[in-house]
Amino acid sequence: MTIDLKQENMISPQGTIEQSVVFESGNEMAAYAAHQINYHVMGYYPISPSTEVAQFLDGMKAKGEHDIVLIPADGEHGSAGICYGAATGGGRVFNATSANGFLYMLEQLPVQSGTRFPMVMNLVNRSVSGPLNIHGDHSDLYFALNTGWPILMARDPQIVYDMNVMAIKLAEDPEVRLPVIVSFDGYFTSHQKRRVQVIKSKEDVHKFIGSPPTDFPHALDRENPVTIGPYMNEPDYINNCYQQSEAMYNAESVFERISKEYAELTGREYPVIDLYRMDDAEVAVFMLNSAAEVCKDVADKLRSKGIKAGVISPNMIRPFPQKKLADVLKNVKAVTVGDRADSYGGHGGNMALELRAALHRYGNVNIKVINRIYGLGGKDFYADEAEHFYQLAQEAVDKGHVEKPFDYFGHTPGKAENVPERVLNPMKKEDLNTGLVTVTPDEKTGELKVKIPPLRNLTKKPKRLASGHGACPGCGIFSGLELFFKGIEGDIVALFHTGCAMVVTTGYPYSSHKATYIHNLFQNGSATLSGLVEMFYERKRRGELEELGLSDDFTFVMVTGDGGMDIGMGPAIGTALRNHKMIILEYDNEGYMNTGSQLSYSTPMGHMTSTSNVGSFQNGKPFHHKDTPQIMAATHIPYVFTGTEAFDRDLLKKAAKAQWYANNEGLVYGKILITCPLNWKSKDELGQTIVGAAVNSCFFPLYEVERGKTKITYDPEDKNKRINVTEWLKLMGKSKHLLKEDSHETLKMFDDEVERRWKQLKAKHESPYL
Amino acid sequence: MAKLPKVNELGFFEIRLESIGGLGANLAGKMLSEDGVVGNGLNGVGFSSYGSEKKGSPVKAYIRFCDPVTHIRDTTPIERPHVVGIFHEALLKTTDCASGIYPDSTILVNSQRSPDELRQLMKIDSGTIAVVNATEIALEEQTKVNTTMLGALYRILDFLDPDSMKDTIRRTFEKKYPHFVEPNIRTFDRGFDEIEFMTFEPVEGTAPRPFKRFEPALGYQTQPIGGTITNPGNSILKDLSISRAGMLPHFHDDKCINCAACDTVCPDFCFVWEEKEDKRGRPQMFLKGIDYQYCKGCLKCVQACPVEALTDEREYNDGYADKNRVPHLFDLMSQN
Repeated sequence: MTIDLKQENMISPQGTIEQSVVFESGNEMAAYAAHQINYHVMGYYPISPSTEVAQFLDGMKAKGEHDIVLIPADGEHGSAGICYGAATGGGRVFNATSANGFLYMLEQLPVQSGTRFPMVMNLVNRSVSGPLNIHGDHSDLYFALNTGWPILMARDPQIVYDMNVMAIKLAEDPEVRLPVIVSFDGYFTSHQKRRVQVIKSKEDVHKFIGSPPTDFPHALDRENPVTIGPYMNEPDYINNCYQQSEAMYNAESVFERISKEYAELTGREYPVIDLYRMDDAEVAVFMLNSAAEVCKDVADKLRSKGIKAGVISPNMIRPFPQKKLADVLKNVKAVTVGDRADSYGGHGGNMALELRAALHRYGNVNIKVINRIYGLGGKDFYADEAEHFYQLAQEAVDKGHVEKPFDYFGHTPGKAENVPERVLNPMKKEDLNTGLVTVTPDEKTGELKVKIPPLRNLTKKPKRLASGHGACPGCGIFSGLELFFKGIEGDIVALFHTGCAMVVTTGYPYSSHKATYIHNLFQNGSATLSGLVEMFYERKRRGELEELGLSDDFTFVMVTGDGGMDIGMGPAIGTALRNHKMIILEYDNEGYMNTGSQLSYSTPMGHMTSTSNVGSFQNGKPFHHKDTPQIMAATHIPYVFTGTEAFDRDLLKKAAKAQWYANNEGLVYGKILITCPLNWKSKDELGQTIVGAAVNSCFFPLYEVERGKTKITYDPEDKNKRINVTEWLKLMGKSKHLLKEDSHETLKMFDDEVERRWKQLKAKHESPYL
Repeated sequence: MAKLPKVNELGFFEIRLESIGGLGANLAGKMLSEDGVVGNGLNGVGFSSYGSEKKGSPVKAYIRFCDPVTHIRDTTPIERPHVVGIFHEALLKTTDCASGIYPDSTILVNSQRSPDELRQLMKIDSGTIAVVNATEIALEEQTKVNTTMLGALYRILDFLDPDSMKDTIRRTFEKKYPHFVEPNIRTFDRGFDEIEFMTFEPVEGTAPRPFKRFEPALGYQTQPIGGTITNPGNSILKDLSISRAGMLPHFHDDKCINCAACDTVCPDFCFVWEEKEDKRGRPQMFLKGIDYQYCKGCLKCVQACPVEALTDEREYNDGYADKNRVPHLFDLMSQN
């Protein structure tokens, strides 16, 4: 929202251009700048805390406020590929990511800089980690240091906007011609709303950044065909690297030039290094991004006590402003460098190491340098802690030496008496093996005969998951999973892909898993569990597990959301083709619910998500839902099924079969449709009703593909229960709009597709050869 | 332009909202900070505690206001609030929502209790306790708790113009959901009007209530390497009853047919079963009751129940859940 400057008693912006003021977060400002620049293409993939950038752009697109082609990728490797491909086409390209997502695209980045195609990416800093942490630190940023991308830093939402406007100009400058990263802190900057001044008209933004350069080769010029990305060995390759190195160093002076032009227009100037009260400073702290702002308040406080304190925070860390930093520190007696990520084993964080190198290079041997690793995984950095950093510097000055040049700050030892006792005994084998669920192959035909008891009898069987998990009220994941597990006898080992089920069951130091559980990367669960399965059978063969109480085989279950089956499709198919003895169980809630309801490929057409908004220019998700069971069936694994908690006995039987196949023949894939009341915008209590309606509308048919033969296990038409898809769609806020007159076309396309897939399935059901 | 009644040493007037996910505290915080800046000429910042907290989990929202020329640099959570807004009284069971308050801070609670009762419950010596029955108002008007709380907060934050917020509410709804405009304005007004205050004068020289930053139970000397949790299923120690936002299921034993439909749909594994002899003397499973410690009040079980053994009811401060809780009998290590 725009604030009317004249009404407010506020310092008006300097500069020559008309500006307005908005009240927005860092993510909103990155999106705002992008929409003004009107990039051609953005390939993206959701990951906290950067996801909102794509969401805001999608929201604006639904209102017709820009023309950026927004492409939801199948993972960050895909999104970076989309961006690279688009960049070779000569237009403007944009992306935003964080943490593990950034690392997943990492190998694409040196290719883009090495082949010299500019674009802008916002890296919303977050911890790169196992165990998983979604909060802000600079461990992802430090992986960017060697990618060959210039890196601009943004300490607050205002700077996020300004840097984004300047970044594209820097990237496209003929002396640079490199992709550029704008880095800002996850949550601290990405999610805090601030007053921000923006250039009022898009035209003025365009005037400043200029047109995309036309004098570089690109892939869409038919008169001048080019070979992009040749096979280049020595002795040529080193020359390409040298060109790139030169271009990177050029970026410093080019940025200074751009920054001056920008300052004339807007009154906001960004020198290469942001300096606060450094003119006569004797003690300083050196910090990147938002924490540097906290230090400024503390410097003021210390100055009022007569301590000459200052703050150094580079606006650019690639190229590293080596000489400028050495100049700034010439007369400083001691500096504490805060690194918000470690360079394990390097005797310092990356910034401290580079700063020491700068001081050495320029012969400053007098200054004391103290390095502290702080704020990891988003740990807040408070003013009193900043004060401690100044104290460290002051102590070094007073003593004439640095007591501890490198250490962590803010870590806590814990007390032995606070270590919690283990709470639960292991589940008893006899309770898990009820004998009530049986699967027997027919002696002649080999066909599996499944017997299941009334559900009442299975209430004695221990639940695999414990109460006390943090899922939303009415979450369908856990009822769905436990119903499935009721059909599994004996012990399981589970691996959960990243997603709601993982996050809400394992918030440290609590776990809702009563059996062994593993989490690895978002996309890599199938591969990971297949490795464990093979380790199990090999260790068992070598007789190494008997002493650990093993009497029966584990059943290995990988649990994934539909998002995990998007980004993890490749590993899942690889695992299926290798036919490991395990189950892949997908809970499909039709979107990336853990990151705030972005569309997944399984989101049905027309459904509203935070990246498929509904407005005059867009009507929900533009393409059809993914048919994952059919994709998996095409790998010819022994057993594929679908199920929901609304048809409990049906799912129970399938679980029993799944276990039999996973223990005897190989890979099983099953998809259960589960409700997400929060993001389906439906009533908590209607979870079962809605998935039941999805089945009866034939959107989600219940069937199995057993040894290649398709069998519909519940046919709503036979039972006279078939309903129109609208009867299902009307139950959810995310799809209600499809019932309106102006959605008629989308609804028809969706309805036709549901019918086509249902008919095809029926044909398969009728023929063993399909 | 609005004039702030008091500010801290950095020039901020600070507000902390304490809630559970789903009641709209995050949105209320955003609207409040935005209106302070856009509609009332202040400078300010608004943000929330972020994590993977879901609906029903504790969340906090923070708002800092300052005069228009003050720079905002502090990004850290508010530890010394001038005003605290507690959206969900059940939080008081598990959280010290008043942590860090000044002796003259104002604490607004969504509650059916009196200010004096709340003062005792929270062990607050002085300051202003304000109460509004936001849940009841929201249920009556079919709106949300956050709008009521905003109304009440605007009465406390008398340097802000309530008409400006009402314009924001109007703007938010009028395009897409015009029928929501009037109920929400009414909800805001009722929050504004129905708030009750009681001020307890601070004794001179009283220090602010201490604020304790969270320190984990485990540390680098005590936690197992690699972040591995070696305590399977220990989430049973958690109390999730605070996730309920006003409703809960009641169990009527006499009508139960023990079909386990409730057990199938319950996301939180709240149903407690026991093995007894049936009429023919054979062992059989019988539903014993509900472990309300884990019940988040989704009411899926009520929907699934084919008879009338489960009903949806409003939850009052009458201790029903505690009295009728049937605790799970877990296989505890400590019993060995």
